[in-house]
Amino acid sequence: VKRLAAVVLVVALAALVFYPAVGTGYGTRSVLQVFMWIALAGSWNLISGLTGYVSFGHVAFFGAGAYTAGILIVSSGWSWPLATAAGGVAAVVLALGIGWPCLRLKGPYFAIAMLGLNEVLRALVSYFEGLTGGGNGLSLPTLDATVPIYYAMGLTAVAVTVGARLIIGSRFGLRLMTIREDEVAAEALGIPTFRHKLLAFLLSAVGPGIAGALTARDQGYIEPLSVFPLATTITMIVMTLFGGKGTVWGPVLGAVVLFVAQEVVWARYPYVHPLLFGAIIIAVVLAMPRGVLGLLQSKYRLPRTI
Amino acid sequence: MNVLITPAMVGQVIISGILSGVLYAMVALGLALIFGVMRIINVAHGPLLMLGAYTTFFLYQGLGLNPYLSVPVSMLVLFGVGVLLERTLVFRVVDAPELSSLLLTFGISIALVNAAQLAFTSDLRSVEYLTGSWVIGAFAFSKPRVIAFVFAAGLTAAAFLFLTYTRLGKAIRATSQSREVAMVCGIDVNAIHRLTFGLASALAAAGGALIAVIVAIQPEMGQIWTFKSFLVIVLGGAGNYPGALLGGMLLGLVEQLASLFLTTQLSEVVAYVLLVLVLLVRPTGLLGGRQT
Repeated sequence: VKRLAAVVLVVALAALVFYPAVGTGYGTRSVLQVFMWIALAGSWNLISGLTGYVSFGHVAFFGAGAYTAGILIVSSGWSWPLATAAGGVAAVVLALGIGWPCLRLKGPYFAIAMLGLNEVLRALVSYFEGLTGGGNGLSLPTLDATVPIYYAMGLTAVAVTVGARLIIGSRFGLRLMTIREDEVAAEALGIPTFRHKLLAFLLSAVGPGIAGALTARDQGYIEPLSVFPLATTITMIVMTLFGGKGTVWGPVLGAVVLFVAQEVVWARYPYVHPLLFGAIIIAVVLAMPRGVLGLLQSKYRLPRTI
Repeated sequence: MNVLITPAMVGQVIISGILSGVLYAMVALGLALIFGVMRIINVAHGPLLMLGAYTTFFLYQGLGLNPYLSVPVSMLVLFGVGVLLERTLVFRVVDAPELSSLLLTFGISIALVNAAQLAFTSDLRSVEYLTGSWVIGAFAFSKPRVIAFVFAAGLTAAAFLFLTYTRLGKAIRATSQSREVAMVCGIDVNAIHRLTFGLASALAAAGGALIAVIVAIQPEMGQIWTFKSFLVIVLGGAGNYPGALLGGMLLGLVEQLASLFLTTQLSEVVAYVLLVLVLLVRPTGLLGGRQT
């Protein structure tokens, strides 16, 4: 079974590598979106799925990456790959600034601090109009780079997933999960909990920062409402919860299934979309807290690091 | 940007800060009660306030009911909604890890906001009942804000009296001090949880009804109140109910003072910086609170 899974994985990756050469523009764009959601959901999983510290504002890192890259491209004429890296760095710096005070404390402080962060960044972006264009948004010079961005986003998704696999299989990952199960016990075992939480949080900011920067370049136009929507945070939370938080493949599964469902079914009923997501969150928390993969894990013999 | 700041302006700012501070304190007291008794941060607290505002709006528009008379009606309606939410959903996560309760109430909050968008549309609504100010000397007192202040002060005082002197209030405080011991003393802890959730929702509804006369009503007006209420209880010290009063005043004053020097656009940023600073310097709150 293990070998079969490996073969399927290699074939799927190969197919995705060659897809832009044969696929339609719409198809390429859709897969690009799936990559983005995998990167976002996988990153949220690193902090919230593993340590149990809920981040209600992960889109802040997405937006920070988008605006950093956008400003560098527009004002300083950076090339987009360089600006993307800068977007990732900016997100990590922001995470350090928030995580340092807030992760010393128990969960609710962190959760609500993240909930507010998003509003704050939006207000700041609107305020510093000179740099960010304020509410009018920021237009990037036109450039058709969908295919290179497709690969860059794909690479980000793969990196986040591989990173999650490495972390979950490592002692570092085990310590994070110990914090999730019982932080006092973890402390008593000698785990420096604050440093572990902070590191997990910094790692979880990289993916959204890069994804935000790539999205800014791809769409060519950013404005506060489009890069800081609460809906993005909600979507990554729903995807991870649905697939199975704290697992490697849960966010991937959730991202693919929910994205397809969104495109095929819910796009026709855009108005009930958040209501449905709210209902999914409630249902998953109450009925299957470990998501689809957790359910499978408890029914069949599956490896712990799935 | 103001270049010249006169003493009169500072006085005006202090008045405005106190007027809005008590409102913050009242709404935050609800959040603090739920947190104290059930160990849950109710992310849906702000959206419940939004529902309270809509209740007042529709009573005003449909029946022509005086918005101040509808305050108790809104409170009653939302008390029912709160009890219902507790009985159907929230009670299931009382003993669960905080991840579950945070996510669950977050899900409720999303669902409430979206349901409001579907049912009431996203149009801005307003209750145009009272505008203008009373001018006394150099200071102006905005009429709806003064009345909101009086209501909020009265309701907050009533809530404190209830908690301090009635048997039910004592049972609530006992449950928040130790659930097990309260249970041993014959207190029906589950009923207390329901009551607390209902009361907290009613306090949020009162806030919503009172600001319905002051600001525009729309489905997304609530979320920022979850954040501000939380900030108020962090300032005052979690689990320290009188602390909410101090925290509310402080938040009102700081926001108004900031509006002297910066644009109002940045008032949320100032509140946020305040939160981060308090968490860094004195995480148990200014009055000191019970450790969680």
